[in-house]
Amino acid sequence: MSRSSIVALVLFAVALLALLSIGPQATRKIQATFFQTIAPFLKTGSGLERQITSVRSGLKSLEELERENSALRVENRSLKATNEALRDVEHEVNRLRHALNYRERSLFRLVPAEVVSRDSSTWWRTVTINRGEEDGLAPEMPVLTDEGLVGRTTTVSANIAVVLLVSDENCRVAASVEGTREQGIVTGERVAASVSPLLDLNFLSKQAQLKPGQKVYTSGVGGVFPSGLFVGAVRSFQVRGLDAQAKLVPAVDLAKLEDVFVVIGRK
Amino acid sequence: MSKFSVMVFFLILVGLVFVGQIAEIFIPPLDWMFNAHIYIVPVIVFYGAMTLPFPLMLCLAFVAGFLWDAMTVQVLGANVEISFGWSILLYAVLAAIMHGLKPLFDRGRWEVHCVLSGVCTSLILLAQYLMISFRRGSIFFDREVWWQIGGPGLLAMLMAPLVFWSLHWLSRLTSNPYHQDEEGFDEFASR
Repeated sequence: MSRSSIVALVLFAVALLALLSIGPQATRKIQATFFQTIAPFLKTGSGLERQITSVRSGLKSLEELERENSALRVENRSLKATNEALRDVEHEVNRLRHALNYRERSLFRLVPAEVVSRDSSTWWRTVTINRGEEDGLAPEMPVLTDEGLVGRTTTVSANIAVVLLVSDENCRVAASVEGTREQGIVTGERVAASVSPLLDLNFLSKQAQLKPGQKVYTSGVGGVFPSGLFVGAVRSFQVRGLDAQAKLVPAVDLAKLEDVFVVIGRK
Repeated sequence: MSKFSVMVFFLILVGLVFVGQIAEIFIPPLDWMFNAHIYIVPVIVFYGAMTLPFPLMLCLAFVAGFLWDAMTVQVLGANVEISFGWSILLYAVLAAIMHGLKPLFDRGRWEVHCVLSGVCTSLILLAQYLMISFRRGSIFFDREVWWQIGGPGLLAMLMAPLVFWSLHWLSRLTSNPYHQDEEGFDEFASR
Protein backbone atom coordinates (compact mmCIF):
# COMPACT_ATOMS: atom_id res chain seq x y z
CA MET A 1 0.00 0.00 0.00
CA SER A 2 1.42 3.39 -1.00
CA ARG A 3 2.02 6.24 1.44
CA SER A 4 -0.78 8.33 -0.05
CA SER A 5 -3.22 5.44 0.41
CA ILE A 6 -2.28 5.07 4.07
CA VAL A 7 -2.68 8.82 4.66
CA ALA A 8 -6.07 8.74 2.88
CA LEU A 9 -7.17 5.76 4.97
CA VAL A 10 -6.20 7.49 8.22
CA LEU A 11 -7.97 10.71 7.23
CA PHE A 12 -11.02 8.71 6.16
CA ALA A 13 -11.11 6.85 9.47
CA VAL A 14 -10.80 10.06 11.48
CA ALA A 15 -13.59 11.78 9.51
CA LEU A 16 -15.80 8.70 9.81
CA LEU A 17 -15.29 8.37 13.56
CA ALA A 18 -16.05 12.06 13.98
CA LEU A 19 -19.31 11.66 12.07
CA LEU A 20 -20.28 8.44 13.86
CA SER A 21 -19.88 10.13 17.24
CA ILE A 22 -22.12 13.13 16.61
CA GLY A 23 -25.39 13.43 18.53
CA PRO A 24 -28.96 13.98 17.38
CA GLN A 25 -28.79 17.78 17.50
CA ALA A 26 -25.69 17.94 15.29
CA THR A 27 -27.20 15.33 12.96
CA ARG A 28 -30.33 17.46 12.65
CA LYS A 29 -28.19 20.52 11.90
CA ILE A 30 -26.22 18.70 9.18
CA GLN A 31 -29.45 17.41 7.64
CA ALA A 32 -31.13 20.81 7.83
CA THR A 33 -28.16 22.47 6.13
CA PHE A 34 -28.09 19.76 3.49
CA PHE A 35 -31.82 20.03 2.73
CA GLN A 36 -31.53 23.81 2.62
CA THR A 37 -28.72 23.45 0.05
CA ILE A 38 -30.64 21.06 -2.18
CA ALA A 39 -34.01 22.84 -1.74
CA PRO A 40 -33.81 24.59 -5.15
CA PHE A 41 -33.12 21.23 -6.86
CA LEU A 42 -36.02 19.58 -5.03
CA LYS A 43 -38.44 22.37 -5.91
CA THR A 44 -37.36 22.39 -9.57
CA GLY A 45 -37.56 18.58 -9.70
CA SER A 46 -41.00 18.62 -8.13
CA GLY A 47 -42.26 21.12 -10.73
CA LEU A 48 -40.85 19.02 -13.57
CA GLU A 49 -42.35 15.86 -12.10
CA ARG A 50 -45.82 17.47 -12.03
CA GLN A 51 -45.48 18.62 -15.63
CA ILE A 52 -44.40 15.16 -16.80
CA THR A 53 -47.25 13.48 -14.89
CA SER A 54 -49.73 15.90 -16.43
CA VAL A 55 -48.44 15.21 -19.98
CA ARG A 56 -48.46 11.45 -19.36
CA SER A 57 -52.07 11.42 -18.15
CA GLY A 58 -53.05 13.48 -21.20
CA LEU A 59 -51.45 10.93 -23.53
CA LYS A 60 -53.26 8.07 -21.82
CA SER A 61 -56.60 9.73 -22.54
CA LEU A 62 -55.68 10.17 -26.18
CA GLU A 63 -54.95 6.45 -26.48
CA GLU A 64 -58.39 5.65 -25.13
CA LEU A 65 -59.99 8.04 -27.58
CA GLU A 66 -58.19 6.41 -30.48
CA ARG A 67 -59.59 3.03 -29.53
CA GLU A 68 -63.09 4.37 -29.12
CA ASN A 69 -63.44 6.21 -32.38
CA SER A 70 -60.71 6.39 -34.97
CA ALA A 71 -62.77 8.52 -37.34
CA LEU A 72 -63.10 11.31 -34.80
CA ARG A 73 -59.55 11.04 -33.56
CA VAL A 74 -58.30 14.43 -34.64
CA GLU A 75 -61.32 16.27 -33.36
CA ASN A 76 -61.32 14.32 -30.12
CA ARG A 77 -57.65 15.04 -29.61
CA SER A 78 -58.11 18.79 -29.66
CA LEU A 79 -61.23 18.63 -27.48
CA LYS A 80 -59.49 16.39 -25.01
CA ALA A 81 -56.49 18.71 -24.79
CA THR A 82 -58.77 21.69 -24.08
CA ASN A 83 -60.74 19.73 -21.49
CA GLU A 84 -57.58 18.52 -19.84
CA ALA A 85 -56.28 22.05 -19.47
CA LEU A 86 -59.60 23.22 -18.01
CA ARG A 87 -59.81 20.24 -15.70
CA ASP A 88 -56.37 21.04 -14.34
CA VAL A 89 -57.46 24.60 -13.60
CA GLU A 90 -60.72 23.41 -12.02
CA HIS A 91 -58.88 20.85 -9.91
CA GLU A 92 -56.43 23.51 -8.75
CA VAL A 93 -59.25 25.95 -7.84
CA ASN A 94 -61.19 23.27 -5.96
CA ARG A 95 -58.11 22.10 -4.14
CA LEU A 96 -57.16 25.59 -2.98
CA ARG A 97 -60.76 26.47 -2.03
CA HIS A 98 -61.00 23.28 -0.02
CA ALA A 99 -57.70 24.00 1.72
CA LEU A 100 -58.70 27.58 2.52
CA ASN A 101 -62.05 26.49 4.00
CA TYR A 102 -60.40 23.87 6.15
CA ARG A 103 -57.79 26.31 7.39
CA GLU A 104 -60.49 28.84 8.39
CA ARG A 105 -62.70 26.40 10.29
CA SER A 106 -59.86 24.51 11.97
CA LEU A 107 -59.22 24.87 15.71
CA PHE A 108 -55.50 24.97 15.09
CA ARG A 109 -53.10 27.51 13.71
CA LEU A 110 -52.10 25.87 10.45
CA VAL A 111 -49.31 26.55 8.00
CA PRO A 112 -50.17 25.31 4.50
CA ALA A 113 -47.38 23.48 2.71
CA GLU A 114 -46.80 21.69 -0.57
CA VAL A 115 -45.12 18.30 -0.88
CA VAL A 116 -41.96 18.74 -2.95
CA SER A 117 -40.51 15.24 -2.82
CA ARG A 118 -41.31 11.77 -1.57
CA ASP A 119 -39.20 9.19 0.23
CA SER A 120 -36.17 8.00 -1.68
CA SER A 121 -35.22 5.21 0.70
CA THR A 122 -36.44 1.68 1.16
CA TRP A 123 -36.85 1.56 4.92
CA TRP A 124 -38.18 5.00 5.87
CA ARG A 125 -41.36 6.74 4.72
CA THR A 126 -40.99 10.49 4.57
CA VAL A 127 -41.93 13.45 2.39
CA THR A 128 -40.33 16.87 2.08
CA ILE A 129 -42.47 20.02 2.29
CA ASN A 130 -41.72 23.56 1.17
CA ARG A 131 -42.06 25.24 4.59
CA GLY A 132 -39.52 25.56 7.39
CA GLU A 133 -38.31 27.55 10.38
CA GLU A 134 -39.03 30.83 8.62
CA ASP A 135 -42.72 29.86 8.55
CA GLY A 136 -42.80 28.93 12.23
CA LEU A 137 -42.16 25.20 11.86
CA ALA A 138 -40.14 23.16 14.37
CA PRO A 139 -39.38 19.45 14.78
CA GLU A 140 -42.14 17.22 16.22
CA MET A 141 -45.10 19.19 14.90
CA PRO A 142 -48.20 17.33 13.63
CA VAL A 143 -48.90 17.40 9.90
CA LEU A 144 -52.39 16.81 8.53
CA THR A 145 -54.81 17.43 5.70
CA ASP A 146 -58.53 18.10 5.84
CA GLU A 147 -58.99 14.30 5.57
CA GLY A 148 -56.86 13.36 8.59
CA LEU A 149 -53.41 12.79 10.04
CA VAL A 150 -50.36 12.67 7.77
CA GLY A 151 -47.41 12.49 10.17
CA ARG A 152 -45.00 14.75 12.03
CA THR A 153 -42.04 16.95 11.21
CA THR A 154 -38.55 15.70 11.99
CA THR A 155 -35.78 17.75 10.38
CA VAL A 156 -36.62 21.39 9.77
CA SER A 157 -34.41 23.85 7.91
CA ALA A 158 -35.04 27.49 6.98
CA ASN A 159 -37.66 26.84 4.30
CA ILE A 160 -37.90 23.09 3.86
CA ALA A 161 -38.88 20.32 6.27
CA VAL A 162 -38.97 16.53 6.40
CA VAL A 163 -42.23 14.88 7.47
CA LEU A 164 -42.21 11.37 8.91
CA LEU A 165 -45.40 9.77 7.59
CA VAL A 166 -47.86 7.96 9.82
CA SER A 167 -47.16 4.87 7.67
CA ASP A 168 -43.58 4.68 9.02
CA GLU A 169 -42.96 2.20 11.82
CA ASN A 170 -41.25 4.93 13.87
CA CYS A 171 -44.19 7.33 13.79
CA ARG A 172 -46.15 6.08 16.80
CA VAL A 173 -49.51 7.69 17.46
CA ALA A 174 -51.63 7.17 20.56
CA ALA A 175 -55.16 6.57 19.33
CA SER A 176 -58.66 5.71 20.48
CA VAL A 177 -61.47 3.96 18.66
CA GLU A 178 -64.75 5.75 17.98
CA GLY A 179 -67.65 4.56 20.14
CA THR A 180 -65.47 2.45 22.45
CA ARG A 181 -63.03 2.93 25.31
CA GLU A 182 -60.33 1.10 23.40
CA GLN A 183 -56.97 2.81 23.14
CA GLY A 184 -53.87 1.69 21.33
CA ILE A 185 -50.78 2.76 19.42
CA VAL A 186 -50.90 3.23 15.67
CA THR A 187 -47.71 2.42 13.77
CA GLY A 188 -46.84 1.83 10.14
CA GLU A 189 -45.46 -1.40 8.73
CA ARG A 190 -41.69 -1.79 8.50
CA VAL A 191 -41.86 -3.09 4.98
CA ALA A 192 -44.53 -1.73 2.70
CA ALA A 193 -45.30 -3.83 -0.34
CA SER A 194 -47.35 -1.07 -1.96
CA VAL A 195 -47.33 2.71 -2.16
CA SER A 196 -50.41 2.88 0.09
CA PRO A 197 -49.67 0.56 3.01
CA LEU A 198 -52.04 -0.19 5.89
CA LEU A 199 -51.48 0.90 9.50
CA ASP A 200 -51.39 -1.29 12.61
CA LEU A 201 -53.37 -0.40 15.74
CA ASN A 202 -51.64 -2.40 18.48
CA PHE A 203 -52.16 -3.09 22.20
CA LEU A 204 -55.96 -3.35 22.04
CA SER A 205 -57.77 -5.53 24.56
CA LYS A 206 -58.82 -8.98 23.37
CA GLN A 207 -62.45 -8.10 24.00
CA ALA A 208 -62.37 -5.07 21.69
CA GLN A 209 -64.19 -6.80 18.79
CA LEU A 210 -63.75 -3.89 16.41
CA LYS A 211 -65.82 -3.85 13.25
CA PRO A 212 -64.65 -2.84 9.77
CA GLY A 213 -65.30 0.84 9.14
CA GLN A 214 -64.96 2.00 12.75
CA LYS A 215 -62.99 5.22 12.89
CA VAL A 216 -59.79 5.72 14.85
CA TYR A 217 -58.77 9.14 16.18
CA THR A 218 -55.70 10.49 17.96
CA SER A 219 -56.18 10.36 21.74
CA GLY A 220 -53.86 13.26 22.54
CA VAL A 221 -51.64 11.13 24.79
CA GLY A 222 -47.91 11.64 24.22
CA GLY A 223 -47.89 15.36 23.56
CA VAL A 224 -47.10 15.49 19.85
CA PHE A 225 -50.54 14.96 18.30
CA PRO A 226 -53.63 16.80 19.60
CA SER A 227 -56.69 14.65 20.24
CA GLY A 228 -59.46 14.16 17.72
CA LEU A 229 -57.48 13.88 14.48
CA PHE A 230 -58.78 11.17 12.18
CA VAL A 231 -56.07 8.52 11.70
CA GLY A 232 -57.86 5.80 9.77
CA ALA A 233 -60.71 3.32 9.57
CA VAL A 234 -60.61 -0.29 10.77
CA ARG A 235 -60.28 -2.84 8.00
CA SER A 236 -59.76 -6.02 10.03
CA PHE A 237 -59.37 -7.12 13.63
CA GLN A 238 -57.44 -10.06 15.05
CA VAL A 239 -56.78 -11.38 18.53
CA ARG A 240 -53.14 -12.26 19.28
CA GLY A 241 -51.45 -13.97 22.21
CA LEU A 242 -51.54 -11.16 24.75
CA ASP A 243 -53.49 -8.45 23.01
CA ALA A 244 -55.42 -7.68 19.83
CA GLN A 245 -54.50 -5.79 16.70
CA ALA A 246 -56.50 -3.95 14.06
CA LYS A 247 -55.40 -3.12 10.52
CA LEU A 248 -56.36 0.40 9.49
CA VAL A 249 -56.83 2.06 6.14
CA PRO A 250 -55.10 5.46 6.51
CA ALA A 251 -57.43 8.46 6.53
CA VAL A 252 -55.23 10.17 3.96
CA ASP A 253 -54.08 8.64 0.69
CA LEU A 254 -50.37 9.06 1.39
CA ALA A 255 -49.40 8.09 -2.16
CA LYS A 256 -51.21 11.11 -3.57
CA LEU A 257 -50.26 13.78 -1.06
CA GLU A 258 -50.06 17.24 -2.60
CA ASP A 259 -50.99 19.83 0.02
CA VAL A 260 -50.68 19.46 3.77
CA PHE A 261 -51.00 21.63 6.88
CA VAL A 262 -48.54 21.83 9.73
CA VAL A 263 -50.07 22.47 13.15
CA ILE A 264 -48.00 25.21 14.79
CA GLY A 265 -50.36 25.81 17.73
CA ARG A 266 -53.96 26.40 18.79
CA LYS A 267 -56.03 29.42 17.75
CA MET B 1 -1.35 16.14 -16.63
CA SER B 2 -2.41 12.63 -15.65
CA LYS B 3 -3.12 13.66 -12.04
CA PHE B 4 -5.17 16.54 -13.36
CA SER B 5 -7.16 14.17 -15.59
CA VAL B 6 -7.84 11.82 -12.69
CA MET B 7 -9.07 14.75 -10.59
CA VAL B 8 -11.32 15.93 -13.42
CA PHE B 9 -12.86 12.48 -13.75
CA PHE B 10 -13.20 12.19 -9.97
CA LEU B 11 -15.03 15.53 -9.82
CA ILE B 12 -17.32 14.42 -12.64
CA LEU B 13 -18.15 11.27 -10.65
CA VAL B 14 -18.83 13.36 -7.53
CA GLY B 15 -21.16 15.55 -9.59
CA LEU B 16 -22.92 12.49 -10.98
CA VAL B 17 -23.31 11.02 -7.51
CA PHE B 18 -24.96 14.25 -6.39
CA VAL B 19 -27.26 14.37 -9.43
CA GLY B 20 -28.03 10.65 -9.06
CA GLN B 21 -28.95 11.10 -5.41
CA ILE B 22 -31.39 13.90 -6.25
CA ALA B 23 -32.78 11.94 -9.25
CA GLU B 24 -33.48 8.91 -7.03
CA ILE B 25 -35.98 11.02 -5.05
CA PHE B 26 -38.10 11.55 -8.12
CA ILE B 27 -37.97 7.98 -9.42
CA PRO B 28 -41.07 6.29 -8.03
CA PRO B 29 -40.74 2.82 -6.47
CA LEU B 30 -41.86 -0.09 -8.62
CA ASP B 31 -45.28 -1.21 -7.48
CA TRP B 32 -45.05 -4.47 -9.46
CA MET B 33 -41.80 -5.33 -7.68
CA PHE B 34 -43.18 -5.03 -4.13
CA ASN B 35 -42.35 -1.33 -4.03
CA ALA B 36 -38.62 -1.82 -4.77
CA HIS B 37 -36.62 1.39 -5.24
CA ILE B 38 -34.20 2.15 -8.04
CA TYR B 39 -30.69 3.11 -6.89
CA ILE B 40 -28.25 4.63 -9.39
CA VAL B 41 -25.62 6.02 -7.03
CA PRO B 42 -24.14 2.68 -5.88
CA VAL B 43 -23.44 1.71 -9.50
CA ILE B 44 -21.61 5.00 -10.09
CA VAL B 45 -19.60 4.56 -6.89
CA PHE B 46 -18.64 0.99 -7.80
CA TYR B 47 -17.49 2.09 -11.24
CA GLY B 48 -15.39 4.77 -9.54
CA ALA B 49 -13.97 2.10 -7.23
CA MET B 50 -12.55 0.28 -10.25
CA THR B 51 -11.18 3.26 -12.14
CA LEU B 52 -9.97 5.68 -9.45
CA PRO B 53 -6.88 5.39 -7.28
CA PHE B 54 -7.50 4.16 -3.71
CA PRO B 55 -7.51 7.61 -1.97
CA LEU B 56 -10.01 9.06 -4.44
CA MET B 57 -12.10 5.90 -4.24
CA LEU B 58 -12.38 6.50 -0.47
CA CYS B 59 -13.34 10.14 -1.08
CA LEU B 60 -16.08 9.10 -3.52
CA ALA B 61 -17.43 6.53 -1.04
CA PHE B 62 -17.37 9.23 1.64
CA VAL B 63 -19.34 11.68 -0.51
CA ALA B 64 -21.91 9.06 -1.58
CA GLY B 65 -22.40 7.76 1.97
CA PHE B 66 -22.63 11.28 3.36
CA LEU B 67 -25.33 12.25 0.85
CA TRP B 68 -27.30 9.07 1.51
CA ASP B 69 -27.18 9.59 5.27
CA ALA B 70 -28.00 13.29 5.00
CA MET B 71 -31.15 12.34 3.14
CA THR B 72 -32.31 9.31 5.04
CA VAL B 73 -31.07 9.29 8.64
CA GLN B 74 -34.03 9.58 11.00
CA VAL B 75 -33.69 11.78 14.08
CA LEU B 76 -36.59 10.90 16.36
CA GLY B 77 -36.71 13.08 19.46
CA ALA B 78 -33.39 12.55 21.19
CA ASN B 79 -32.44 9.46 19.20
CA VAL B 80 -30.83 8.83 15.84
CA GLU B 81 -32.02 5.53 14.41
CA ILE B 82 -28.86 4.69 12.46
CA SER B 83 -25.92 6.95 13.28
CA PHE B 84 -24.78 9.36 10.62
CA GLY B 85 -21.77 7.75 8.94
CA TRP B 86 -22.81 4.10 8.67
CA SER B 87 -23.56 4.40 4.96
CA ILE B 88 -20.09 5.89 4.43
CA LEU B 89 -18.55 2.83 6.08
CA LEU B 90 -20.72 0.45 4.05
CA TYR B 91 -19.86 2.20 0.80
CA ALA B 92 -16.15 2.27 1.66
CA VAL B 93 -15.97 -1.44 2.52
CA LEU B 94 -17.88 -2.55 -0.58
CA ALA B 95 -16.00 -0.12 -2.84
CA ALA B 96 -12.71 -1.42 -1.44
CA ILE B 97 -13.77 -4.97 -2.38
CA MET B 98 -14.58 -3.79 -5.91
CA HIS B 99 -11.28 -1.92 -6.01
CA GLY B 100 -9.52 -5.16 -5.14
CA LEU B 101 -11.09 -6.79 -8.19
CA LYS B 102 -9.82 -4.03 -10.48
CA PRO B 103 -7.30 -6.30 -12.32
CA LEU B 104 -10.21 -8.49 -13.42
CA PHE B 105 -12.02 -5.42 -14.74
CA ASP B 106 -8.87 -4.33 -16.59
CA ARG B 107 -8.78 -7.72 -18.30
CA GLY B 108 -12.30 -7.14 -19.62
CA ARG B 109 -14.26 -9.31 -17.18
CA TRP B 110 -16.74 -6.46 -16.71
CA GLU B 111 -19.68 -8.83 -16.27
CA VAL B 112 -18.34 -9.90 -12.87
CA HIS B 113 -18.46 -6.28 -11.72
CA CYS B 114 -21.94 -5.72 -13.15
CA VAL B 115 -23.17 -8.67 -11.08
CA LEU B 116 -21.20 -7.48 -8.05
CA SER B 117 -22.69 -3.97 -8.35
CA GLY B 118 -26.12 -5.52 -7.91
CA VAL B 119 -24.99 -7.76 -5.08
CA CYS B 120 -23.31 -4.85 -3.27
CA THR B 121 -26.39 -2.63 -3.67
CA SER B 122 -28.46 -5.36 -2.05
CA LEU B 123 -25.84 -5.79 0.67
CA ILE B 124 -26.13 -2.09 1.60
CA LEU B 125 -29.90 -2.48 1.94
CA LEU B 126 -29.54 -5.73 3.87
CA ALA B 127 -27.11 -4.06 6.30
CA GLN B 128 -29.51 -1.15 6.79
CA TYR B 129 -32.41 -3.56 7.35
CA LEU B 130 -30.43 -5.51 9.94
CA MET B 131 -29.49 -2.29 11.73
CA ILE B 132 -33.05 -0.96 11.91
CA SER B 133 -34.35 -4.38 12.94
CA PHE B 134 -31.80 -4.44 15.75
CA ARG B 135 -32.87 -0.95 16.85
CA ARG B 136 -36.58 -1.69 16.64
CA GLY B 137 -36.26 -4.97 18.46
CA SER B 138 -37.69 -7.53 16.05
CA ILE B 139 -36.53 -9.17 12.88
CA PHE B 140 -38.42 -10.99 10.17
CA PHE B 141 -37.74 -11.95 6.58
CA ASP B 142 -40.82 -12.35 4.45
CA ARG B 143 -41.29 -12.14 0.68
CA GLU B 144 -41.67 -8.33 0.75
CA VAL B 145 -38.41 -7.87 2.66
CA TRP B 146 -36.48 -10.06 0.23
CA TRP B 147 -37.91 -8.19 -2.73
CA GLN B 148 -37.09 -4.81 -1.22
CA ILE B 149 -33.51 -5.95 -0.65
CA GLY B 150 -33.05 -8.04 -3.78
CA GLY B 151 -35.14 -5.96 -6.20
CA PRO B 152 -32.92 -2.86 -6.19
CA GLY B 153 -29.85 -5.12 -6.53
CA LEU B 154 -31.37 -6.84 -9.52
CA LEU B 155 -32.19 -3.50 -11.11
CA ALA B 156 -28.68 -2.19 -10.38
CA MET B 157 -27.28 -5.33 -12.04
CA LEU B 158 -29.36 -4.66 -15.14
CA MET B 159 -28.45 -0.97 -15.19
CA ALA B 160 -24.74 -1.55 -14.60
CA PRO B 161 -23.63 -2.36 -18.21
CA LEU B 162 -25.22 0.84 -19.51
CA VAL B 163 -23.93 2.97 -16.64
CA PHE B 164 -20.43 1.43 -16.94
CA TRP B 165 -20.41 2.00 -20.69
CA SER B 166 -21.49 5.66 -20.30
CA LEU B 167 -18.96 6.32 -17.55
CA HIS B 168 -16.25 4.56 -19.51
CA TRP B 169 -16.96 6.88 -22.41
CA LEU B 170 -16.75 9.88 -20.06
CA SER B 171 -13.56 8.54 -18.58
CA ARG B 172 -12.03 8.28 -22.03
CA LEU B 173 -13.22 11.81 -22.84
CA THR B 174 -11.40 13.19 -19.81
CA SER B 175 -8.23 11.24 -20.73
CA ASN B 176 -8.31 9.40 -17.44
CA PRO B 177 -4.93 7.60 -17.26
CA TYR B 178 -6.74 4.46 -16.09
CA HIS B 179 -7.11 3.66 -19.78
CA GLN B 180 -3.35 3.35 -20.28
CA ASP B 181 -3.18 -0.04 -18.62
CA GLU B 182 -6.49 -1.43 -19.71
CA GLU B 183 -6.90 -3.97 -22.47
CA GLY B 184 -10.06 -5.98 -22.39
CA PHE B 185 -12.47 -3.29 -21.35
CA ASP B 186 -11.86 -1.55 -24.68
CA GLU B 187 -13.59 -4.50 -26.28
CA PHE B 188 -16.65 -4.02 -24.11
CA ALA B 189 -16.70 -0.25 -24.62
CA SER B 190 -16.39 -0.51 -28.39
CA ARG B 191 -19.33 -2.92 -28.66
